[in-house]
Amino acid sequence: MRELVVLFQKEWRENTRNFKILWVPLVFIFFGLSEPLTSYYLPQILDAVGNMPEGTTFPMPEFTPAQVIMATMGQYQFIGMLVLVLAFMGTISRERKNGTGTLIYVRPISYLNYFLSKWKVVGMIALMSVWLGLLTSWYYTGLLFGKVEASDFFAFAGTYSVWILFVVTIVLAMSAWLPTGGAAGLSLLLILIVQIVDSLLGTYWTISPWKISTYATQWLTGSPDSGDFWWSIAITILAIIALMIFGVWMSKRNASKTKV
Amino acid sequence: MTIILEADHLTKIYGSERAVNEVTFALGEGTSTALIGPNGAGKTTTLSMLGGLLEPTTGTISLNGEKRADVRKHIGFLPQYPQFFSWLTALEFTEMAAKLSGMDARSAKLEAQKTLEFVGLGDALRKKTGTFSGGMKQRLGLAQAIVHKPKLLLLDEPVSALDPVGRREIMNLLKSLQQDMTILYSTHILNDAEEMTDQLLFLRKGQLVEQGSIGDVRAKYDQPRYRVEFGRAEDAIIYSERAPWNVQVEGACGTIHLAQGFPTMADVLKSLAESGLDVRKAERQTANLEEIFMKVAGQA
Repeated sequence: MRELVVLFQKEWRENTRNFKILWVPLVFIFFGLSEPLTSYYLPQILDAVGNMPEGTTFPMPEFTPAQVIMATMGQYQFIGMLVLVLAFMGTISRERKNGTGTLIYVRPISYLNYFLSKWKVVGMIALMSVWLGLLTSWYYTGLLFGKVEASDFFAFAGTYSVWILFVVTIVLAMSAWLPTGGAAGLSLLLILIVQIVDSLLGTYWTISPWKISTYATQWLTGSPDSGDFWWSIAITILAIIALMIFGVWMSKRNASKTKV
Repeated sequence: MTIILEADHLTKIYGSERAVNEVTFALGEGTSTALIGPNGAGKTTTLSMLGGLLEPTTGTISLNGEKRADVRKHIGFLPQYPQFFSWLTALEFTEMAAKLSGMDARSAKLEAQKTLEFVGLGDALRKKTGTFSGGMKQRLGLAQAIVHKPKLLLLDEPVSALDPVGRREIMNLLKSLQQDMTILYSTHILNDAEEMTDQLLFLRKGQLVEQGSIGDVRAKYDQPRYRVEFGRAEDAIIYSERAPWNVQVEGACGTIHLAQGFPTMADVLKSLAESGLDVRKAERQTANLEEIFMKVAGQA
């Protein structure tokens, strides 16, 4: 237990001193802010910059508050995922590559604690970023478009958090398994590409970790099909646990690849 | 003498290459052992296996007679090029190392500070390791290896990368650790091995080709001889023709190998005095470690 605390402190210091604790949340807050603002001010922006002929009127789409929050999540699903992968792809592989891992691996540590310490810190930063971003979006949406019920919002953000933990676990497990480049590539494939495939062919099944974000948004307008929703959550948590076991195993197996 | 570590037919195979091949040796408690050999002989691989970083392909390592123990609890390890987290200070890193080896927070902090002062980093406790020079990194590397007072210290080329002053200082530090710890270190700087060694292990192409105390190895490979220096090259040739024993001539020097005839120094001096040649110097020579190294490293 104490060992986990010591390793956790090391990870925490790393992410504080390289400012990831600052810039990753800022990216998410930026999109949480810009999505409601640009949606709201789009007519004025077009007026100010566009050379519209005199008297042109656009029927501007009327956004519902739920749609604005969904659009924020839409940004996170691409740019946000990219940021998370790029920021944390080297969490384990980099320590092997530059040899800083060696002096950790020759200590009597358990690789479970080693992996867990990283998972906790990265998970905390990712969840904090997403929540700060979504809360920002919720606040400005409420101000500019109208109210979204708190219960709806928290059900949405809570469900989306499960997906974020799934993403974080993928990135760390890949980083434990592969060199940094490979970890980034395969993570992006598993997060972005599989998601596209799932949305294209996914009409044939309803239970999948890649459908969590869709079910999350359904809380804003109603509620997802209860059976599908809970099964997907259960499957995702199982997948997270399986990926963590894989990550611990790979951290241990690959420790010998550290630069001596 | 109690045996602290025993390596039994240790082998590491990478693909078809045997990096370390059936290496067997034992380290007695409180002894210092030098692992020497040319580059690529398998020194680092051997140390990595002993340090628990690499799993041996076959063979066993026992610590205090216990096989398959987690050796990492009892060792301090210094890699050849220690790498540190550049965003941690020397004190933070050493403290973390001590805690990960099981020390409680209070004594970890105390020992980290003491150890850093011991290795000469007392002024750099709160400097980030990213700003450290090569010599400072080596000292910090040594500090993290000894901070938890391990029984066994494994050091990979502890002084190779240092300048002469740094090398002397680190060697002195290591010598002062000899009383408390069993030390195994690899080196290709033979003077250092000669200075601080109870046992020599010669590795060549992954195999242990020679082992024993420095005296044993020297006795085995040493070919003592007399070397006589003449004023002129001709004198050396004249002497080689007249002398009652076989003399090899090289320039103005004649060398008499002791294997043939065993003349005493007195015999040699007498014959030199009688010859009336211009003798500058006569001495008995023994092989130094370097010559032994070349012999062992070069043998087929």
